Amino acid sequence: MQRHDVVVVGAGLAGQRAALAAIQAGREVAIVSKLHPLRSHSGAAQGGINAAVGKEDSVETHIYDTVKGSDYLGDQDAIEFFCREAGPTVVEMEHFGTVFSRGPDGSLARRAFGGAGFPRTIYAADRTGLALLQGMWERLGTERFTLYEEWDLTDLVVREGRVQGIVAFDRKTGEFEEIAARAVVIATGPYGRVYGRTTNAHSCTGDGVAVAYDAGAVLKDMEFVQFHPTALLESGILITEGARGEGGYLKNAKGERFMSRYAPHVLDLASRDVVSRAIVTEVAEGRGFSGPYGGYVNLEVMHLGREMIESRLQEIVDFSRNFAGIDPVTEPIPVYPGQHYMMGGISTNLHGETSIRGLFAAGEAACVSIHGANRLGGNSLLETLVFGKQAGIAAAAYAASAPAPEMHASDLDRAAAPLRAWSSRTDGEDPSALRTELQQTMERYASIYRNEADLLEGLRRVRALKARFARVRVVDQSRVYNVNLTDALEVGHLIELSEAIVVGAYARTESRGAHARTDYPKRDDAHWMRHTLAQRTPDGPSLSYGPVTFTRWEPKERVY
Amino acid sequence: MTTQESTIAATFDVYRFDPTKDAAPRYQRYTLDVPPHTPVLSALLRIRAEQDPSLTLRYSCRSAICGSCAMRVNSKSRLACETQVGPEIERNGRVVVEPMRNQAVLRDLVVDQEPFWRQYDRIDPHLILDPRHPMPEGVPTSMSPEQVEAFKETPRCIACGACYSACPAVEADPGFPGPMALAKLYRFVVDPRDSAHQDRLLRIQPGGLWTCLRCHLCTAACPKDVRPSERIRDLKEMAVRAQGGTENGSRHAIGFKDNIRERGVLIEAKLVRQTSGVAGLVGQAGQGVRIYRKKPEILKTPRKIEGLDEVEQIYRALDRPAEDGQ
Repeated sequence: MQRHDVVVVGAGLAGQRAALAAIQAGREVAIVSKLHPLRSHSGAAQGGINAAVGKEDSVETHIYDTVKGSDYLGDQDAIEFFCREAGPTVVEMEHFGTVFSRGPDGSLARRAFGGAGFPRTIYAADRTGLALLQGMWERLGTERFTLYEEWDLTDLVVREGRVQGIVAFDRKTGEFEEIAARAVVIATGPYGRVYGRTTNAHSCTGDGVAVAYDAGAVLKDMEFVQFHPTALLESGILITEGARGEGGYLKNAKGERFMSRYAPHVLDLASRDVVSRAIVTEVAEGRGFSGPYGGYVNLEVMHLGREMIESRLQEIVDFSRNFAGIDPVTEPIPVYPGQHYMMGGISTNLHGETSIRGLFAAGEAACVSIHGANRLGGNSLLETLVFGKQAGIAAAAYAASAPAPEMHASDLDRAAAPLRAWSSRTDGEDPSALRTELQQTMERYASIYRNEADLLEGLRRVRALKARFARVRVVDQSRVYNVNLTDALEVGHLIELSEAIVVGAYARTESRGAHARTDYPKRDDAHWMRHTLAQRTPDGPSLSYGPVTFTRWEPKERVY
Repeated sequence: MTTQESTIAATFDVYRFDPTKDAAPRYQRYTLDVPPHTPVLSALLRIRAEQDPSLTLRYSCRSAICGSCAMRVNSKSRLACETQVGPEIERNGRVVVEPMRNQAVLRDLVVDQEPFWRQYDRIDPHLILDPRHPMPEGVPTSMSPEQVEAFKETPRCIACGACYSACPAVEADPGFPGPMALAKLYRFVVDPRDSAHQDRLLRIQPGGLWTCLRCHLCTAACPKDVRPSERIRDLKEMAVRAQGGTENGSRHAIGFKDNIRERGVLIEAKLVRQTSGVAGLVGQAGQGVRIYRKKPEILKTPRKIEGLDEVEQIYRALDRPAEDGQ
């Protein structure tokens, strides 16, 4: 058995920042990750990180934009804290070594992003996530900690209401191991792979969220799923909002800049939920293009000129050429909305504390909530760092006085037993098939536009998949690097979290932010200005509701 | 779906090896109908889903940014996610998929990247600050667009390891840092925030910098156009300028330059002495004798070539301080 003061699960920006904070607070820290830290999905973030550092901009405006963007479901105390931390956080990352793009005067360059009053998104070309991930890993690398690289989390051990540690297995050897910890920080990112068309990496399967949910942690606002308006048609690969921030625009098959109908003031730079629904509507009403991969609209950047496209939108040029066979310098890019971001996650306060003592969460795995019903572009990278640090500080403080964790041999057996059973079956369900069916189900029944009949059917199907998952079979019998076992583990997590999404969406009979019910098209503040809280029971998620924190901003209709 | 795309029947010969049960690696053939622009990674994932879940590989983002799926496709080290099946079939008739080289195979297409990361750690991959010049409090460092430009494409590196796999110098000398680590070193040597430029250049040289063969295979392999070989060339230049030649590699470069200036051709015996010093000469005596037997003129100082004055003019032009400040 291994023992550590603080165990951080997940090594993207949130996990690394939490680890650094806990180390700086004097705790002994281990990081457990299924990927090498530099391969984390944080690195795929393209556009930038928000901080109101421009002379014409203000923290107040950033707060207001975030509150409005959240469709008033964000907790305003947390949003205020978050936006105030933005400037210092970006400066710190610059000091850690991040190579940002610069303006002519040597300051950090900024670009416009959707839903923002001013150009406040600081960037590194169109690979801001990669630049931050490199800077973070370089800085963390100067500290002492233990790294369990390519380990899969299987269980969180909670005894007497307190976290005692985790169980994980080492892909390289196939061995299960107990890792006792005074405090655990979950920073395993999102679970976008519940959907078929997603900008998320294959590894975004919500392992930490599902394991915490299984251990009794409360999840929050799971029904709020952000669809990015511009995912490449076939693969779902993200084309950054920066493309529109730099002056690109959307056109339908009739050659119209259709965003003028949906957001007459800010057009293509409206909030993501607004633009995604506009695209779906255009295609549904017959004004889109159609092709072998379904309906779509065009994203045009040609008019920006080769030089600007190739210098500021380099990755987009590569993505379009390599994954769609399109040259954006001379041709439009075919796009359609794809799942992009999970506003929901493990319910935390702004210190990363969850409903379980000793369990903390940060980043996309967590829900503070600052994004409410819809996240603004440029706020997620910032969230990983601001709340990663808070969770690390809080976990370190907790670990300093927490009793020594108690792990028993039975903990390991309990965690390993189901996985061993999957491998010993001679007949059963194929994890890949379950995953594909789940993704099709969620895509069809719980996507951008929702209604009662669809959600009920979606729930029925997800539950059928859950029943089939009980008979999942791992064919590969090797101990070494058994990714078939990982497939099964991950699809189990995806199914559990899908159920929480659908149940939350079915219950919420209003439209708010990214949650659009065609049968309840209006926001209903009287009934639904509250957070959805979900707890796992053997019969599925049990829902309750919690208040939204208001400080200074009264709800208004959200118009762009 | 309004129309169906045309597909091709593609043959994949995939390297398989499970150390727990295979005595030796083997190749397994899979066939699949795919649209020609299908990425090799998507094809491999379809094989896993439809035919053989035991096929083992690393993958994550599928958009050439996480660096997980580096492998060899028809002998070239590259990312499977951005390599399309169609052109590979056109060129090669089939798609041969193998693990990266220069790293031990853990299973099938998964290699042990430990040595690669060890070399990365060796270059001290973090800013080294001078305590006398701390970072400005509460504000970012100022950095001109030109200073950002000096990083070249090195910040694009995703550490996939394709360059490390393609590098013959790594194969010959596993102690060689390899292209990725050296490109990363360059990134710190040009960083205006870093205070250890000179020290970094000195420390990398023993067994480091000069082992590069200048074959540019790393640059050809790099999926992000980082151009490691060009940055290694820059590092060599900076190393020579920084300390005027205390290493065999830099002395060789300086001797080479002086030889050409003096005679217009190499003065081979002198160059060996210049590169290795007297002690080195003794060490290489056996080899020297063998070369002398085959080529006795090696010890003669060659005549000056015609037009040496033009060579001199080139040298003078190169000695003038560069106007662009490089």
